[in-house]
Amino acid sequence: MLEFNDLTKAFHSTTAVKPATFTIPDGQMVGIIGRSGAGKSTLLRMINRLNEPTGGQMLFQGRDITALRGRELRQWRNECAMVFQQFNLVGRLNVITNVMSGRLFHHNFFSSMAGVFSEKERAFAIRALDRLGMAHTALQQTDTLSGGQMQRVAIARALVQEPRIMLADEPIASLDPLNAKVVMDALRAINQQDGLTVICNLHTLDTARQYCDRIIGMQEGVIVFDGTPKELTDKAAREIYGAEAEDAFSEAMTSTALRPGAQRAQPEVRVVN
Amino acid sequence: MASITTNTPANGSDKDPVSLFESHRRQMIRDRMVVNVTLGVLFIAFLLWSAWISRFTPDRLAAGLPRIMEYFGSVMPSLQWDVLFESRDEAGRFPPGSLGFWYNDFWKYIRLIWETIRMALTATLIGTGLAVILAFLAARNTTPAHWVGVAARRFLEFCRGVPEILFALVLVFAVGIGPLAGVIAIVIHATGALGKLSSEVVENASMRPVDGIKAVGGNWFEQMRYGILPQVMPNYTSYALWRFEINVRASAVVGFVGAGGIGAELSHVISFYSDDRVTAVLILIVLTVTMIDLLSERLRHALIGKESLK
Repeated sequence: MLEFNDLTKAFHSTTAVKPATFTIPDGQMVGIIGRSGAGKSTLLRMINRLNEPTGGQMLFQGRDITALRGRELRQWRNECAMVFQQFNLVGRLNVITNVMSGRLFHHNFFSSMAGVFSEKERAFAIRALDRLGMAHTALQQTDTLSGGQMQRVAIARALVQEPRIMLADEPIASLDPLNAKVVMDALRAINQQDGLTVICNLHTLDTARQYCDRIIGMQEGVIVFDGTPKELTDKAAREIYGAEAEDAFSEAMTSTALRPGAQRAQPEVRVVN
Repeated sequence: MASITTNTPANGSDKDPVSLFESHRRQMIRDRMVVNVTLGVLFIAFLLWSAWISRFTPDRLAAGLPRIMEYFGSVMPSLQWDVLFESRDEAGRFPPGSLGFWYNDFWKYIRLIWETIRMALTATLIGTGLAVILAFLAARNTTPAHWVGVAARRFLEFCRGVPEILFALVLVFAVGIGPLAGVIAIVIHATGALGKLSSEVVENASMRPVDGIKAVGGNWFEQMRYGILPQVMPNYTSYALWRFEINVRASAVVGFVGAGGIGAELSHVISFYSDDRVTAVLILIVLTVTMIDLLSERLRHALIGKESLK
């Protein structure tokens, strides 16, 4: 169980996340929705402390996450894997090394600096890749892959961490509808088969409705909605999105809904890393 | 439809976009002219000032140039065609005027040049290694703490700010005459120069992979090793090769103060003989440096070419 008590993030002049209090039980798939700048990413990145909270507290199974430091903090990050919008893989390394980097926490200084991974870790990484249909690319350089493929590799990296929570920060925002569906299906499968808690930032409504058990809506740093997809009426959604409501409702852009004519030309995303 | 090339305002007003642009452009040229003229005048003033300080005058040049020629005349070998390829006589000596006489110490020079190259190689390897570590500490985006970054940057500045020859002088005093002093001197300077370049490469690297490694629970070393190093490796290799070229020249120079290699021999023949042995050594140095430059340039271009194809 992940508990948030008045968790806050303030930047110099603005408050990105205003005191947030809620609880996520184990094994739930949660979608956080809201317009850009609503504080979704900040909230998510506070969970694994890539962004430091400026106030409040976070508890996981009763353990205070906000107080962790050094090795304990790294252990927590290892327990709660993250998938990013821009994949955040190391483009110049091959796919399997990227996946195996999910095991780095368990390495000592010398084996990680030398880049030595055990046969067991290789096998583990290949199985994770195979689960996402990417085993055939294991020895390719990562920056030769397409966006959808990279995101699947990133999920494989997250899986080999053997996490208890999976965070996904706009995992499909850079993908075309077909790849978006593959990635969301994979996250849902991980949630249902492995029983992992999945917390996912999404910017399209229908994806959140289709895949999540629970939807949290944010507006200007405040949680304005928290409920099941059924409870999220059009009126409630319009309140979350405000002026951007029409965009969010014309769900053709990067949603997972594959409708005829819904596919729009996607600008090619070039990943420089 | 009005032609777009006609100079008449489309909407009848004097806010015609073409004339607006032209007047804006004229204004910009005028502004820039003021700056350029000021800079030009300043440049000429400084040039004259420094010429005056160094007494760089045509008559001194005219008096000095012949003396340079005179010196080179005295160190030129007096080769004679009829004995040019003569081998040793019964006494084991080359006849004067032969190539063998000129390059009597050929193998000694080659041994010393080889020593110079090895000095440069050692210094480049150690210097690159130190520079890579310091670059991560010095780069603003990867430094573990603000004060560490500032300290690392100042240290690198000091390393590259002091010329090798000064370090070599002090080190010859400290560790004695020989290549060790030269290698350490070049390592310090190369670390400073490479560390600066490398930290700039690191500052331009993408931080996304670093976030990725941080999110799996990697520590700072792992973030650098997996997140940054693969991105900057091609640049580092290219810089290291380029620095090797410079270090070959540098290790020839530090020999002058006793820090090993061919430089010591050059200094020796200049101060003791000033005869054809000076040109013998000089020609070998120039040949070596040119060859290494060409080779390393080839390698670097191959490396960069391979990268740009991706």
